[in-house]
Amino acid sequence: MRPVGAPVVEPLLSVRGLNISWFSQQGRRNQVVNEVSFDLASGETLGIAGESGSGKSTLARALLGHARGGSRIESGSILLGGRDLVSLAPKALAALRGRDVAMVPQHPLSSLTFHLRVGVQVEEVLRHRAGLSPKAASLRSLELLTEMGLSEPEKIAQRYPHQLSGGQRQRVVLACALACDPALLVLDEPTTALDKTTEAQVLELIQRLRRARRGAMVFVTHDLNVIAEICDRVMVMQHGKVVEEGPVQQVFGAPAQPYTRLLLGSALRVDGASEAQPGRHGSILLEVAGLGFSYARPSLLLRRASTTTPTLTDINFSLGRGEVLGVIGESGSGKTTLGGLVTGFLAPERGVLRFDGAALAGRAAARSIEHRRRIQMVFQDPLSSLNPRRRVGDQVARPMRLFHGLDKRKAEARTVQLFEELGLNADLLTRFPRQLSGGQQQRVAIARAFAAEPDLLVCDEITSALDASVQAQLLDQLAAMQRRAGTALLLITHDLTVIWRMASRVIVMRSGRILEQGETNAVFRTPSNPYTAALLDAATRATRVAEPAFAGV
Amino acid sequence: MISLILRRGALSLATLFLLATFIFFATEVLPGDALDVSLSADEVAMMPPEVLARRKAELGLDRPILERYLGFLGGLLKFDLGRTIITRAPVADIVAMPLRNSMALAAVTLLLALPVALGIAMAAAQAKGRGLDNAVSGAAIIGYSIPEFVTGLLLIAVFAVWWPIFPATITASTDDPLSVLLAAAPLAVITTIIGSIAYLGRILRVGMIEVMASDFVERLHLSGIPRWRILLVHALPAAVIPGLSAAALYAASLVSGIVVVEMVFAYPGIGAELVRAVTRREVHVVQAIALAAAICVVSFNLLADLGISTLDPRTRSA
Repeated sequence: MRPVGAPVVEPLLSVRGLNISWFSQQGRRNQVVNEVSFDLASGETLGIAGESGSGKSTLARALLGHARGGSRIESGSILLGGRDLVSLAPKALAALRGRDVAMVPQHPLSSLTFHLRVGVQVEEVLRHRAGLSPKAASLRSLELLTEMGLSEPEKIAQRYPHQLSGGQRQRVVLACALACDPALLVLDEPTTALDKTTEAQVLELIQRLRRARRGAMVFVTHDLNVIAEICDRVMVMQHGKVVEEGPVQQVFGAPAQPYTRLLLGSALRVDGASEAQPGRHGSILLEVAGLGFSYARPSLLLRRASTTTPTLTDINFSLGRGEVLGVIGESGSGKTTLGGLVTGFLAPERGVLRFDGAALAGRAAARSIEHRRRIQMVFQDPLSSLNPRRRVGDQVARPMRLFHGLDKRKAEARTVQLFEELGLNADLLTRFPRQLSGGQQQRVAIARAFAAEPDLLVCDEITSALDASVQAQLLDQLAAMQRRAGTALLLITHDLTVIWRMASRVIVMRSGRILEQGETNAVFRTPSNPYTAALLDAATRATRVAEPAFAGV
Repeated sequence: MISLILRRGALSLATLFLLATFIFFATEVLPGDALDVSLSADEVAMMPPEVLARRKAELGLDRPILERYLGFLGGLLKFDLGRTIITRAPVADIVAMPLRNSMALAAVTLLLALPVALGIAMAAAQAKGRGLDNAVSGAAIIGYSIPEFVTGLLLIAVFAVWWPIFPATITASTDDPLSVLLAAAPLAVITTIIGSIAYLGRILRVGMIEVMASDFVERLHLSGIPRWRILLVHALPAAVIPGLSAAALYAASLVSGIVVVEMVFAYPGIGAELVRAVTRREVHVVQAIALAAAICVVSFNLLADLGISTLDPRTRSA
């Protein structure tokens, strides 16, 4: 970190008045980077934070003098070591890339060539960019892989990308990017595709590299917690503009701009009590005992006998009437499969489901109409769960007519009422799903679920595709409706903040098993499982960074 | 890899066995037998019954169907495809040379068309959406949609009539050496090449455009890796994979399906032989040619599968 008040030396990177636009096939212009200016000194790490669509990835590529097909750097300058990347000829740019500035992209699997061994791909950079002989490149590539924390580099080098784990792949990509020891390293969401445990390990590596290298880093991510851990300074972007910029502790500790405060509001802060209303612990609504499920792999003629890996093992929990139960887990933890079993998309292999005291059949097709009405679901992607050819008002009215036999007029009146409760204007009733925003679409999906007047609503990652501001509002409205109707919620998400705000009890899942379950307050304050503790640690960095005792900076 | 070859090989043999069975029953059993088919209604009506019976016995058609089927299969194992009904010549001898000629034409076509198609596809993908790409795409659609007899006749009109540098039809005979035959058939080769370049170029161009927009190409580009290396070492194998199955089917159809070109130029290939056999109702020859076509399709598919698994390591470790 630069000592306060020290004289500012010539910055390594200096961006001035940068404007980048995308052009549609019809020639419509969409400006995604708007008058962006900043400096970066050697040894410094800048975090660029923003939601999807904020222009941060476009900006990241521009730092290598690159604009993807369909986009153009319209004006401004990007001075790297005194040379302007915007006006540099393609040949001179290519000479710079990999040596002076390198990039670590978001998806390590698709960013490596699938038909070449990873060792060859690291050697390639060393041979063609660092000018090493084949033999020297081969030796150096093994060193690099070791430096990236890969044990047995000889073995790893012989593998193809698909044979490596996500963390190993990202380490290989890092080795490629660092092969020529570039002065500036641009990382675009480098850990977003990884699970939390692997993410922590890769972040540790990046942290180590940052301290060992003299070069500067630009770290692009939507995750404020990652910025809190890695960066000295942060730049918050919204709609292509810089909203706020400064040292991480200052910006996260005392955000000056409302948008920064909003983003920070979606980061978890475990102080005080959970905001969730305690559930009404009346009678038990849903009871799950010894549930097990595995996806059978298709076995083809003359192939080895099919092997199955259990997706869910020995799941036991119960859910009271009107209670909100959170299910937390990363992708691959089996949480979505659990939702599928409760709603009857999937039939359990083992175990029993009981609903309101009666046995619940596995497949939805085998359930009574009444059971199907009483258990409803809202999906992650509203656009694909709504019928694109029907007006949204009709789609919400349909369950009322189907399950409750309401006539057209009454159903319409009830639809308008549901729309109002969710803050949707009645004008939207005659629109098609595509004509609505993402937040409006998801609210229509929620209205459709409530139209059946269910006792249990399964929500699978319903806010993960939405912006922070929309997300907060939607959760408030869902909580209000749930309380009013006395509906129980099974809230499946990877986002601990959503659980903290909404759920009175929580289940933590990993690899198809329940690691722990209990009151949200107790689990989040004193997690009994090290995995839960690690999840919480990772999720609260942004809100703890301003505290003096925070060890991350 | 070896187990994959064995597994695929066994599957291919099983497929061929089923096809052989189907061909046998379809041609021998359905409405009439080989003799009935080769004789016209008048001939059958005029022939005394005992002559008919004797000829049937000569051809072995009086034996029960199952026995004939087993005989057919046994013959296949020894490459004995039976004899023709009219001349009593071994079918294998009749089919061998035209088959060789057709395979030679297909091989020369592919050897010349493939590199050109690849080059065009790469150039077009580089200039996606711009003039060169549009020109190439348009030309490919035209080249692909004009029937080969039109291309062939056009070529004859230009290069054999107006500007007579090539012969219009082929004067070489069926069992001339290949060098003589192909030297005599430049216009036939050009005709098939034009169609092939258009077809293969279209497939490869799409594959190439997809690959050039992929994440790994962008990463390499942003690492400053030389353009030629990105194209040849990284993008090309990746772009060829999805087109390989389609190209294999196309190659198989080249061997068995260039009837039109062979007829236009009087090229002594298997297509011309098939037409002759059908008009003369030589059932055994039709069977043999159908089998040869089936073997082509199956073995080219096998080659494509093996090629894909060589290029794409993801398909290997299943």
